Amino acid sequence: MKKYKKILAVLLCAGMLASLAGCGGNGQSAETVQEQDGAAAVQEEETAEESAAAEADGPAWKKDTSPVDLTWFVGASWYPYTWGNNLVSENITEKTGVNVEIVTPTGDVNEELSLMMISGDLPDLISLGSWETSYNKLYEGGYVYSLNELADEYDPYFYQVVDGSIIKWHTKEDGNLYCVPNDAYGEEQMAQTGMTAATQTFLVRKDLYEEMGSPDMTTPEGFLEALRQLKENYSTYKGVNITPFYAQGGSGYGLSTFLQNFLAVPYEKDGEIYDRTTDPDYLEWLKTLRQAYEEGLIGIDYLVDSDDQVTEKANNGQYFCMLREWSGMQEANTILAQSENPDSYYIAIDGPSGKNGDAPLIFPGSLDGWMSCFISKNCENPDRAIAFLTYMCSEEGQRDVFLGVEGETYDYVDGVPTMKPEFVEMMNSDLETFSNTYGLGDTYWMLRNSVIVDQWRPEKPEYIKQMYDWANSHAYIAGGIYNNLEPTGDSDAAIAATRVNQKWEEVLPELITAGSDEEFDRIFEEFIQARDSYDYDSVVAYKQQLLDARKG
Amino acid sequence: MMNKAKKKMKLLIRQWQLQSMVWPGLLWMAVFSYIPLVYLVISFMNYDISVPLFQNEWVGLKHFKAFLADDRFWRSVVNTLGMSALKICIGFFIPIFFALLLNEMKSARFKKVVQTISYLPHFISWAIFGGILLNWLSESGIINQLMMALHLQSRPVLYNGNPDYFWGIAFLSDIVKETGWSAIIYLAAIAGIDPGLYEAAELDGANRWQKMRHITLQCIRPTVAILFILQVSNCLGSNFDQIFFMKNSANMPKAETIDLYIYNMGLGQGRYSFSTSVLFFRSIIAFGLLQLCNFVSKKLTGETII
Repeated sequence: MKKYKKILAVLLCAGMLASLAGCGGNGQSAETVQEQDGAAAVQEEETAEESAAAEADGPAWKKDTSPVDLTWFVGASWYPYTWGNNLVSENITEKTGVNVEIVTPTGDVNEELSLMMISGDLPDLISLGSWETSYNKLYEGGYVYSLNELADEYDPYFYQVVDGSIIKWHTKEDGNLYCVPNDAYGEEQMAQTGMTAATQTFLVRKDLYEEMGSPDMTTPEGFLEALRQLKENYSTYKGVNITPFYAQGGSGYGLSTFLQNFLAVPYEKDGEIYDRTTDPDYLEWLKTLRQAYEEGLIGIDYLVDSDDQVTEKANNGQYFCMLREWSGMQEANTILAQSENPDSYYIAIDGPSGKNGDAPLIFPGSLDGWMSCFISKNCENPDRAIAFLTYMCSEEGQRDVFLGVEGETYDYVDGVPTMKPEFVEMMNSDLETFSNTYGLGDTYWMLRNSVIVDQWRPEKPEYIKQMYDWANSHAYIAGGIYNNLEPTGDSDAAIAATRVNQKWEEVLPELITAGSDEEFDRIFEEFIQARDSYDYDSVVAYKQQLLDARKG
Repeated sequence: MMNKAKKKMKLLIRQWQLQSMVWPGLLWMAVFSYIPLVYLVISFMNYDISVPLFQNEWVGLKHFKAFLADDRFWRSVVNTLGMSALKICIGFFIPIFFALLLNEMKSARFKKVVQTISYLPHFISWAIFGGILLNWLSESGIINQLMMALHLQSRPVLYNGNPDYFWGIAFLSDIVKETGWSAIIYLAAIAGIDPGLYEAAELDGANRWQKMRHITLQCIRPTVAILFILQVSNCLGSNFDQIFFMKNSANMPKAETIDLYIYNMGLGQGRYSFSTSVLFFRSIIAFGLLQLCNFVSKKLTGETII
């Protein structure tokens, strides 16, 4: 009995120690070690082939299609799709041998990436928006491969599929290219094709807006009058409680740059960076919102609601008007157009405008693109990763992602690959099956090249086309140059910029909920003082320098 | 002298089974509590996570000066102290009161049911509890509906959008979630009271109220004192999970506590040195507070924990 107890005690301790070691030892279990060995063997084999590959100058993804796993971090917490279990992803896995595991952040993207960087757990591929603070850290901290080096070594075909202007725009000061963007639009290209990536729109619920007599909402007076009419007669409409107003991204976006773009607040005056926040037109509109809040015409729910709550309200047609990117409303409009009230979807109308009625400066998209894809140094098979990247960027890859499999989901009509009518129909009526079961269209947008894809894109249904057309026709094509002028990283200017922005995000709700215009002025004055004390001048200087360099 | 040490060593070896149960715990402490202490030095550096620790540039007290000059830091101090004051002045006594009430219950079965129900919320994480709460507090949520049905308010109030409500909401939700759980330790202390004391008091003609006041309360005084010391010394800390899930850009001015500030600056903005210096500063003050409370408690009640 006593001996039995002894053995048990030893076992217990051993178990505890083992679990501890598991925590400390970077979680490297025997399995992963084995995997690494396997990978090394594969790599050795490849080096022999590789020189031949480079000479042949064909795409590397065709030469090695042995199975390999890649994890892919998509820096968007709302991204709903997975890899595998649908036609497109299975086809790609079969073609390239690459099996992808998609990882999305559960909370804030930057926080999670910071954690991954510290703990050395970065996924193989990382898709990240260029506005994120961790974007610069990825390459400044040496966490990612330079793609030009990988391409030179493993897959020179890369240079044939990625546009030269994009490579030039994204190559950093050290001469290296670290990422490939999706949805990148050059100014010339936009001028030539007339197609832009503009998404900023002012949306209203169609049936309600028309029943109200399509009031003009471009002036502060008209805006307030429409909201008063709404409060009086339509606080519930066709069985839903109407929430009058929504601004995407709350105070940091919807009520800042988004609104400023609508008011045509210039980015620069006579070559000098213009202080958009203190623009009189902008302040007048903020005061209009304050007035609306005081009268109980709007709330501040859009600053408080979680993403889920917003989606629910939008899908039910609860919002009356919204400052919102139309691209985020495609699903809601599809649902609404097929509901009992087929006219309850949202349409884009002329939104808040400045005093002298200048056309809005809707952001048109730029060579920055939307999200960029990196290959992290944690990746055990960088050769396969770059080959996969090349494949996804190539026309063939774009076709496989967007149109699927020839004969099954698309056919060649007059030499142009065209999606089969039943799938076009499905895309418009049942986006869920279209995306989940087939994975077609915009399901895997992480490396989408809009210039290629748009030529195959089926005609949009009216309830989406209307929003798209409005944004497209109001895009300010020269505006791409002003994108991402804010300093990033942890320089003094970047810290100052973050402090100013975060202060503004907090001050804006105070401004809107202020009891009077006098109080508004006082709070705003305090903000300006705080902003100066945060060394705002250094932010302006940085932006000016960057802008001058871009124009260079 | 030598002999004594040898004796101790022998004892240690003879108790190896018992000792081996302690060592994993100590190892855990070393790995997760003591080794990280070394990294406090990054508060005097411009720390870059990609550079080995001691090759970073030393900058002296730069980061300390920076946060002491930051109005947002001082705001977070006010928020932390405000919420802690609520917790210490009111929140601390509620579990004691609850435990005393539970103890007076006659039906053992009913007591158990109440106790179980009251500590169940403790096992729901703040991620979930906070999410439920946000729905309750929303404009179409249960609380607004209730208030309007009772005619206590005429139109829905966005409770979580008004910074002035935040302390109250945080305080009340914490009470709801944790009271039952916190009462357990007092119930355990009460259970340890010698029943002979009550019997003696009954013989002397004490009523229930007198028994509760003079026996139960007196006997759990050491427990109360210890928990009070811990609570006060932790007044610069806050319930991070709770605040994290309930904050938003509208209530941030009243919601950002020191912990959240450290998190926002460190993981949010990647200013690791800066946030470490705030943490360092906070820890030193908390240590001082602990010593002070211990001293005061020793003078007043004779109870200490150090």
